[in-house]
Amino acid sequence: MKKYICPICGFTYNESVGIEEEKIKKGTKWKDMPSDWVCPLCSTKRVDFLEEAIDVALNEKVPFSEEGEASTLRKLSIKEMSALCSNLSKGCEKQYRNEEADLFKQLSEYFKNKGDFTKDASFKDLSNLIQKDLDTNYKNAKNVITKSGDRGALRALVWGEKATNILSSVIKRYDKKKNELLENTNIYVCEICGFVYIGDEAPKICPVCKVPNMKIVQVKRR
Amino acid sequence: MHAVRNIRLCTKDCLCLYVCPTGATDTESGQIDATKCLSGCRACVDACPSHAIFLIPDEYPLQQKKTNDVKKALLTLSESKTRQEQLALTITKTSDDPIVRQLAQALSISNRLLAEDVLREAGYMLPQSQNVKDFLQSLLDTPQPEDFPIKTVEKLLSIL
Repeated sequence: MKKYICPICGFTYNESVGIEEEKIKKGTKWKDMPSDWVCPLCSTKRVDFLEEAIDVALNEKVPFSEEGEASTLRKLSIKEMSALCSNLSKGCEKQYRNEEADLFKQLSEYFKNKGDFTKDASFKDLSNLIQKDLDTNYKNAKNVITKSGDRGALRALVWGEKATNILSSVIKRYDKKKNELLENTNIYVCEICGFVYIGDEAPKICPVCKVPNMKIVQVKRR
Repeated sequence: MHAVRNIRLCTKDCLCLYVCPTGATDTESGQIDATKCLSGCRACVDACPSHAIFLIPDEYPLQQKKTNDVKKALLTLSESKTRQEQLALTITKTSDDPIVRQLAQALSISNRLLAEDVLREAGYMLPQSQNVKDFLQSLLDTPQPEDFPIKTVEKLLSIL
């Protein structure tokens, strides 16, 4: 018996379990599923599902670092520094260190408003970068990080790749339907993992990171 | 370890006022006075029916070591995500179509979160880690534009 995974939201079809609600009996082979069957969570087509790979053996635990390790390999760009500082601000908030959180936020804003602004940009430009992430960057990163046994980094990749798949699908849908896609409905972003959802109401839980929808915020039209 | 209250979970049962041996919880701010709180006492933590009080450590674990390969792979992604954020922000500023701006805004927020997540995993999980201090120090050690907020960075270094 095999399992098949939705590349967008991670829904898993298990042949030995089936899907009771859809009257798909346990033991139903993937190849015998209805051809028009789609993912019950996110409507991805059956042909896009991936067979589950067997997990590799447990990796060695990654050691904690001693003080003073060289922190990066290259200088971060101004925009990366902005993202780093906004995340450190959130980190301070979680530790109830409000003063530090404010200071990191100020730094993040400073970097955000600084430096290289592109003059024009299109969804096509975005789509090209997204495609490169999906075709190359995530695959390379997965190889390297799976070997290293760094579970935290692997977690970030798994969620990031799912969210990026969704970004790709959102832009493709926009390309086809243009403004009609959003005209009479809403758009939401999960504040924890970056999952984007278009629909009247946010899903109850985020299909990528499973956070309840109090963390899924609506992006208003301005 | 001292106690803090998550005011979002607090249901004002106020058992913490009753069980606290030092009166640290007796504040108007809704927070617990860290100077009065007894380290590791946790009487309020165990009493709270809404699990709104918990202990935060005075010292966090060291930053997890990240290999160069892992960092390199994550930084390739952070570069791409921040560029995407930038493109999306440019669209929000240059388009005169409200729906286009709305979509671009959502994409910029998503990409910021994706960039934050990979950077955090590239060795910057904890604000008080040596990596973060080294990063802040490097900002002071390199030439910066006139409007750079030196004082903000110095203050952070002194209190982290």
